[in-house]
Amino acid sequence: MADLNRRSSPPPALGSRNCDDPKIEYKEVAYLAKFLTPQANIYSRKRTGFCAQCQRELKQAIKRARHMGLMPFVA
Amino acid sequence: MKLYEGMFLLDNQAVRENWSRAKAGVTDILAKYGAKVLTARHWDERKLAYPIKGRTRGTYLLCFFECGSEGVNQMRRDFEIDERVLRYLLVNAAAVPAGELEKSQAEGAADFAAPTPPADERVSAERMVFGEFADRPVVDRSRAAAPANDEAEGEESEVEAPVAGEGV
Repeated sequence: MADLNRRSSPPPALGSRNCDDPKIEYKEVAYLAKFLTPQANIYSRKRTGFCAQCQRELKQAIKRARHMGLMPFVA
Repeated sequence: MKLYEGMFLLDNQAVRENWSRAKAGVTDILAKYGAKVLTARHWDERKLAYPIKGRTRGTYLLCFFECGSEGVNQMRRDFEIDERVLRYLLVNAAAVPAGELEKSQAEGAADFAAPTPPADERVSAERMVFGEFADRPVVDRSRAAAPANDEAEGEESEVEAPVAGEGV
């Protein structure tokens, strides 16, 4: 049963981020786009490899960019 | 007085008429509520990720200003009403980024001319609601299934009519 439930290994994290770097900004659209699925969902922390604080910054930035029409809500 | 960053999405129609007037429209509202505008510049003109108020393109104006919190709350109402401002975003800023002041000043020079935005393609009402699905051919399922059900439908209507009458 355990074998049936076991999945293939998850995709590797996109990379980590140095938390001391300047805050993620909503204007850096090309950078933010790396953390979206083809349907424009935000990747989970597991996938981005970010710490909680960086992930929150990322989420905030993407949502601001979406509001301003810089990024899609759905693609 | 706190430092704020304001991003404004302006209607290309207003920008095409006169960039400095469109910009002044925003900075005047800022000044009206006691804000000290430090920088205001043309950030970019680009295609929007999704249609906003029927527009597919827009021009972004980036401002940095100092203002009290009362004023910021009051100016939001003015930006909502202003038809030239399609969207706005007001966020706290730690400091004015390096190079921002120079870019803003360069815009104030006499020989500066904002690039003229390309023609905007009008979005139909259907496209605004359904996006790219509006372009797909419509499959009329009722007609495709109609020949087989022709007789059945006729019978049903005959049966249903008396039932409705009895009820009344």
